[in-house]
Amino acid sequence: MMNKKHITDLLPEYLDGILTKSQIKNIETHLKDCDSCKEELRQFQVLHTAFDSEKEVLPSEKLKSNFYEALELEKQKNPKVVVMDSQPQARKNAWMPNLLKLAASIALLIGGFALGKYQQEQKMNLEIATLQNESLGIKQMAMLSLMENKSASKRIQGVNYIDEFSAPDEAIVKALADRMLHDENANVRLSAVEALEKFTTSETVKKALIISLKTEKDPGIQIAVIQTLVKIQEKKAVAPMQELLEQEDTQPYVKKHIKTVLPSII
Amino acid sequence: MFLEEQTDEKLMAEVAKGDLDLLKVLFERHHVHVFNFLLKMSKDKMLSEDITQDVFYKVMKYRTSYNNGKFVSWIFTIARNSLKSHYTRSAEKHQDLDTVIHFEHDEIEEKNEEHTHLHKALSKLETADRELLILNRFQEIKYAELAEIMGSTPGAIKTRVSRALKKLKTIYFENI
Repeated sequence: MMNKKHITDLLPEYLDGILTKSQIKNIETHLKDCDSCKEELRQFQVLHTAFDSEKEVLPSEKLKSNFYEALELEKQKNPKVVVMDSQPQARKNAWMPNLLKLAASIALLIGGFALGKYQQEQKMNLEIATLQNESLGIKQMAMLSLMENKSASKRIQGVNYIDEFSAPDEAIVKALADRMLHDENANVRLSAVEALEKFTTSETVKKALIISLKTEKDPGIQIAVIQTLVKIQEKKAVAPMQELLEQEDTQPYVKKHIKTVLPSII
Repeated sequence: MFLEEQTDEKLMAEVAKGDLDLLKVLFERHHVHVFNFLLKMSKDKMLSEDITQDVFYKVMKYRTSYNNGKFVSWIFTIARNSLKSHYTRSAEKHQDLDTVIHFEHDEIEEKNEEHTHLHKALSKLETADRELLILNRFQEIKYAELAEIMGSTPGAIKTRVSRALKKLKTIYFENI
């Protein structure tokens, strides 16, 4: 007979599934011959289920709105200047020295303005710009990863996040184009078309829109793409539009739409 | 919100540098957990909302003192401390947190019969044990993080959780 006490200690973790294979094997062999441990296991199981079936309570919306308000206030109190302790050792310091540093940076900033120390000012601007770039980098990463999310609504969120960028770089544009052309969900594709509308000066975007015109089957998206292409007077879109007119599976109202807009582009 | 794939720690480091907007992501991720922890400890919804709010205010206010440790540990440490100081403030006559919490507990429990059997059993545990189980079982905080919160080692925490769970099991089946 094996040591029972040893086994009962491990039962909760056994149920959590965080034991090693050999531990699991030991437990299971032991359980076969030991009724008291079986009973223990049954009891732990009941407890386990009781914990799992406990519902999470949601706090009222007020909690969130209050906190967001406080956050906005804090943001106004702390313009980007606070950020300037970019030196790594500053992070280790406690609150008070940082406060002094903050005071010092503000004093410096004001001094810079007052005395018109051009150089000083420029340096600060540079630092702020670097920091803003950093956070832009993170935003970009976030946007890209959101667009890869399994859930369609998250992907739409990712796509809509484009509003944060005034001049998105090629990676983002490509990722958006990719969503527009290949996403399985029509709503995601449509959001991507809408997001790309603002960047039609990019060759990549133009090309992608034309490809979409050839491959897209959803009439709503077809119309959005057509409108965008007409708006920018993209001549290369004419041929695929004529093809759509000839294709049998094109929805009648899409054809009608093409007929109305085609003259304005030729 | 965005930034779903970023770790809490990376986000908090950015917040500490001044990107306050990222705190929204951390709020979205954790406020329900913090709130539920407080609610299970205090049984008081209003109080738990107030303290949850307070916890995130503190994170915002003291962001520069974030030490790059596990964010979950940090935030639950703040939550525990806030709850504790609430009880010490509000109960001048009760020296012991344990008695205070139990006291309020029983009071509310009598009024409210809809509590689950599990909750009744939990409320019979000592505060420390109950807290450990609530954090570990409901909020799914791992031994390593619990150790940070309690200022202990993962091994010791594991033993304490296991003992607390056994005590709970006994109570649970005694009164079923």
